[in-house]
Amino acid sequence: MEDLLTTVSTDGSSIMPKLAPHLSRHLLFPLIQYENEQAEEQGLEEKARKIASGKIKLLEDTNMTDYVASLYCELHGTDEAPAEYNKKRQEVLADLEKHEAATAKIADLLTQDEVLNGLRSDKLANLEFLKKEHGVTMDMVNALFDFGQFQFRCGQYGPAADMLYQFRVLSTDNDKVAAATWGKLASEILQTNWDAVVDEIKNVREGIDTRLFSNPRAQLDHRTMLVHWCLFPLFNSDTARDPILDMFFSAAFINTIQTSCPWVLRYLIAAVITGRNRGRNSSLQQKQLKDIVRYVRQEAYEYTDPLTQFVNALYIAHDFESAREALRLAEQVCRSDFFLASSADAFVDAARHLICESYCKIFSRMNIHDLSEKLGLNPADGEKWIVNLIRETRLDAKIDSQDGTVVMNHPPNNVYQQVIEKTKGGFFRTQVLNAAVTKASS
Amino acid sequence: MSKFFRGGEESSSESDSGDEVSINGSEESSDDEQQVKKPQNKFLAGNDDSDDDSDESEEESEEESDSDDDAGKGGAGYFLKDASSESEDSDDDKRSAVKSAKDKRAEELDASIKQIENGQKNGDWTLISAEFDKLSRQVERLQGPRGKAPKTWIRTIAELEDFMNEALAKAKVTPKKMNATQARALNAMKQKIKKTNKSYQKDIDAYRADKDDFMESSEEEAPAPAPTKVKIPKSSDPIAQPTEEDMEGFTEVTQGGRTVKYTPESILKHLRAILDTRGKKNTDRSEQIGVLEKLHATANTPYQQIRVLLTLISSRFDLASGSSGAMPVEHWKSAEKELSTLFNILEQNKEYVVVENAEEWEDDEKVPVLQPGEKHIKVAGSLVSFVERLDDELGRSLQSIDPHTSEYIERLQDEGSLYNIIFRGLLYTESLRKEEDLDVSQDTVNRIVMRRLEHVYFKPAQVIKVFEDNCWKAVGSDVESDITGRAASADATNLVGTLCNYLFIHSDGIIRARAMLCQVYFLALHNEYYKARDMMLMSHLQENIPNFDVQSQILYNRTLVQVGLCAFRKGLVYDAQNTLQEICGSGRQKELLAQGVMMQRFNQVSPEQERLEKSRQLPFHMHINLELLECVYLACSMLLEIPLLAQTGSSPDVKKRVISKTYRRMLEYHERQIFTGPPENTRDHVMQASKALAAGEWKKSTTFIHNIKIWDLMANTEDIKTMLSKQIQEEGLRTYLFTYAPFYDTLSVETLGTMFELEPTKVSAIISKMISHEELSASLDQVTSNVIFRKGVELSRLQSLALTLSDKASSLIETNERTLEQRTQGSSNAFDRPGRGRGGGRGGARGRGGGGRGGGNTQRQAGGTQFTGGALGAAVRG
Repeated sequence: MEDLLTTVSTDGSSIMPKLAPHLSRHLLFPLIQYENEQAEEQGLEEKARKIASGKIKLLEDTNMTDYVASLYCELHGTDEAPAEYNKKRQEVLADLEKHEAATAKIADLLTQDEVLNGLRSDKLANLEFLKKEHGVTMDMVNALFDFGQFQFRCGQYGPAADMLYQFRVLSTDNDKVAAATWGKLASEILQTNWDAVVDEIKNVREGIDTRLFSNPRAQLDHRTMLVHWCLFPLFNSDTARDPILDMFFSAAFINTIQTSCPWVLRYLIAAVITGRNRGRNSSLQQKQLKDIVRYVRQEAYEYTDPLTQFVNALYIAHDFESAREALRLAEQVCRSDFFLASSADAFVDAARHLICESYCKIFSRMNIHDLSEKLGLNPADGEKWIVNLIRETRLDAKIDSQDGTVVMNHPPNNVYQQVIEKTKGGFFRTQVLNAAVTKASS
Repeated sequence: MSKFFRGGEESSSESDSGDEVSINGSEESSDDEQQVKKPQNKFLAGNDDSDDDSDESEEESEEESDSDDDAGKGGAGYFLKDASSESEDSDDDKRSAVKSAKDKRAEELDASIKQIENGQKNGDWTLISAEFDKLSRQVERLQGPRGKAPKTWIRTIAELEDFMNEALAKAKVTPKKMNATQARALNAMKQKIKKTNKSYQKDIDAYRADKDDFMESSEEEAPAPAPTKVKIPKSSDPIAQPTEEDMEGFTEVTQGGRTVKYTPESILKHLRAILDTRGKKNTDRSEQIGVLEKLHATANTPYQQIRVLLTLISSRFDLASGSSGAMPVEHWKSAEKELSTLFNILEQNKEYVVVENAEEWEDDEKVPVLQPGEKHIKVAGSLVSFVERLDDELGRSLQSIDPHTSEYIERLQDEGSLYNIIFRGLLYTESLRKEEDLDVSQDTVNRIVMRRLEHVYFKPAQVIKVFEDNCWKAVGSDVESDITGRAASADATNLVGTLCNYLFIHSDGIIRARAMLCQVYFLALHNEYYKARDMMLMSHLQENIPNFDVQSQILYNRTLVQVGLCAFRKGLVYDAQNTLQEICGSGRQKELLAQGVMMQRFNQVSPEQERLEKSRQLPFHMHINLELLECVYLACSMLLEIPLLAQTGSSPDVKKRVISKTYRRMLEYHERQIFTGPPENTRDHVMQASKALAAGEWKKSTTFIHNIKIWDLMANTEDIKTMLSKQIQEEGLRTYLFTYAPFYDTLSVETLGTMFELEPTKVSAIISKMISHEELSASLDQVTSNVIFRKGVELSRLQSLALTLSDKASSLIETNERTLEQRTQGSSNAFDRPGRGRGGGRGGARGRGGGGRGGGNTQRQAGGTQFTGGALGAAVRG
């Protein structure tokens, strides 16, 4: 395991070693797979081999014996997998049968309609009902849990999720329910079933808030884990994005990030910046951007990478030269990062917008040539890009092509306009308030 | 002597009376050898308001009254022999002792009365008042629980009353005023006499009726009880026994010391005798110590040695609980040596252990032997307490020594040996803790670990290393500690870390908080700003520090200041100012850091309070240099305040924000001065630097700041100075822009760069920052690299008021929303939040659109004006 991580991080660009301790074996697997592909693409034979052998080691403890065996064959170029894998395979199969036998009855029961109709929302009553009517015991319920876990180890994430769901409905053992929730979350993530993931995240989060209330240390650890797991849906699902970002920006989670895993800031920055084009909720986005600038400033002594450097240069130091440089590096980082690879282009595009935005805010006349350089484009592309930008955002700017400059018109901020803006929402908000008061008092 | 000196110094408000009295005291003591000890104390106690002494006398009188009660059973009111005949049943043995005590008291009484008479002659009311206090106390004692007052006393108070009435009458008639102290004393006396005389009214009346007769009758009564006592045979009243023994045992040891040989066998007996007299009055402690030292020389078995040493050390400490505050140096040193011998003995004889929960060994004839099945012979005692006491005593002694003398340095050198003792104590308790059958509480270990930490945390790493090396050398090479291994101790940071971690895990409450503070202090001292700050914040001590004891609060303040200084060294001016604000802004740094007592101008402090405060003072070597602190604080405030002043000066709508009130006040004071000479102290330097900075003369400002001498006290003086001049350059640029922006249309970045000797990129970065934070309404022209200032952005008064009003209105809505949210506990959340988000979103979007389209503005503006006009018109009409 350690060999693997050191191999991956030899050039220091990947932050996988930092993420790894907080991820489950199964969740880590896609990351390693990705690293492996990267290495192969870049033609680093040695590295790829090392990573592949690490991958086998990673999965040896799981029940996915067939897959491991095939990986082994691939790596060593043989057709015959070592005998131990076969032996393990037999054991796993035997276990499978055992588990199936143990859960056969209850699984069968839970497929029958009349049983399901008899279930209510009260867990204790349910258990009582099943015990009386069908002779279900606590052990049988627990067997469901064990089998779910076993399925998960085998890589059968779908059945595992179902199993754990059934267990959760029936069991009254709080610790095991919490464990089952985590297991279900992992299964759903691995099945890329994002809607279910969002629900499970909510469950886990509630569990952390309530169950571990008196143990801040465990809360911190669990939140850290949840933050890492949430990275999967954050960059893969549009629907999951907003609730997860909201969660990250809530006080408890931002504290967690700052205390125990500042490297997640990278993903937070990427998510916020790429989110700007979705455009629906620009004030929220402004606020998030402001927040993230603050966090980057606070954590600057602890963690820096090209993305935080970019934010730092653009919003804290106002140094456009270094912002450009940081953007170039950030692009590389994004392309080689498992989570960010898909949104790298969107990120760069959005980042250019941001540079341009703050540039326009500060300068009243600028050279197209310089500006395109700062955006990392050639002059012709730059001009096109700027024209598009002016058209899209209805910026108050003109291009003077004789001098090769863009002239910005900064209208002074009108006082009357300001007063109007400030008081605009007042009526609506008061109405909302009024309605809420009436509702609360009635 | 030092006592007198101190007394005079402290009670400066009443210095004349204090001096007078002390002179009296010394006269008295010289003419009467027998009374040397007691009266001297009394004089001081009665008159000198200085802390220790009065307290001590209170204690003493308490003690005495206690012992009176004890004796009261056997010989009820035996002090009253002159006045009552009830003491017949008292035992005869006491007679000689009693006699002498009685005589002594009588003499004291007479002396006081004489003094009062003297005072009456001179009209010295302060003297009278002081003597009267003393006298009444003596009388109370003489009187016992239910006796009669001596005749002389009655005579004195009666005469005094007459004299006083006379004096009061005179004071009314004569135009010449008495001086203030005298008048005060007279008034005090009036009250006192009124009170006292009420209780003795009968006797006084009798005295007034026939003076001579009254006095004679007293003389008749006095000798009466004496013969009766002789008849009483020696009683063996068990209750009276202890008193008897303490008198007798005492004389026997002192006298027989030369004749009676101390044999090893009798040691325990002697010890018992000495232990019994402990805490009793009239025991000569130094004499006892002499005896104990001899006993120590004779002791030959480990058990005896341990017992003797335990007693010896505690008697030495008893010596300090007396008058003089700190323990005499030579006794401290011997205590330290004896303690280390004790540790040696205990280390060599592992079967003997000194634990707190052991039972007292009652049998003096035999020596305890190892019981089968038990591993240890337990001896009662607490080594940790000894170590703590030794530490306290050193601190107290350092407090009382003038820190600028070589005496202080010499005394400070003892800290090394003290640290050794603490270390050995730690090793010992640790080894005891390992033995399960001993049941040593975790608390004991924590206490000693804490002591060690307290000697380490404020020192630089090199010093700690020397200390540690000495310790490990002293204990030999085969000893290892679990808490702080040999390897861990080699590095100071490691050492502090391990000690603190140990306490974090094993302790709670106050010790834990203190350990945390110590670690933060250490980190800050060693320039680990971020670690220190994070720990400080994570400790959450800001919230609950007011509930802690004063010592911990002082430590908290010290830590806070140290963190602030560390931030300054790192060049984080804003953080430094913020951190130091709380302590330095209050103007009570001295008090808050326990480095001196502030003069109380407005409210009087009771002596009790003052004494407490003094006892809290830190020894000088732990001080944080206050001048340096002030200098850092002022420099930081200057860097923040001057640009702010320039900013608020130019635009009226920015709220009058004040960062540091103290600094503002100083600046105002400095500006009011008509003539300012060259700067002399730190404050002058900073103030003149501020003035120069405000005028844009950053070079002059830098020179002023650099000329401050105190920077030399910081490590890396040059770095600090470079950092400061860099900051001054930048802040100077900002100030310049704020101040002169209204007078320029454009300014070249190049010119600004040469003016402030900054690079053009740096200049434009600073300007960009200001523009983007909307501090400066300007824009940059990239082509010509100029700053273009916008015109017509100044608001009229009405406009800025309107803006403020709208701000307030929206904050009102927000407060309402929050209140509702709290009230409904989130049930209406779902309803409330999206609404607000949407409203804000729409507002923001439209706002940007409006800003972008210049065309729409004029129309709206017109509408706006009309609207305002309409409203105004309506108001006027209405």
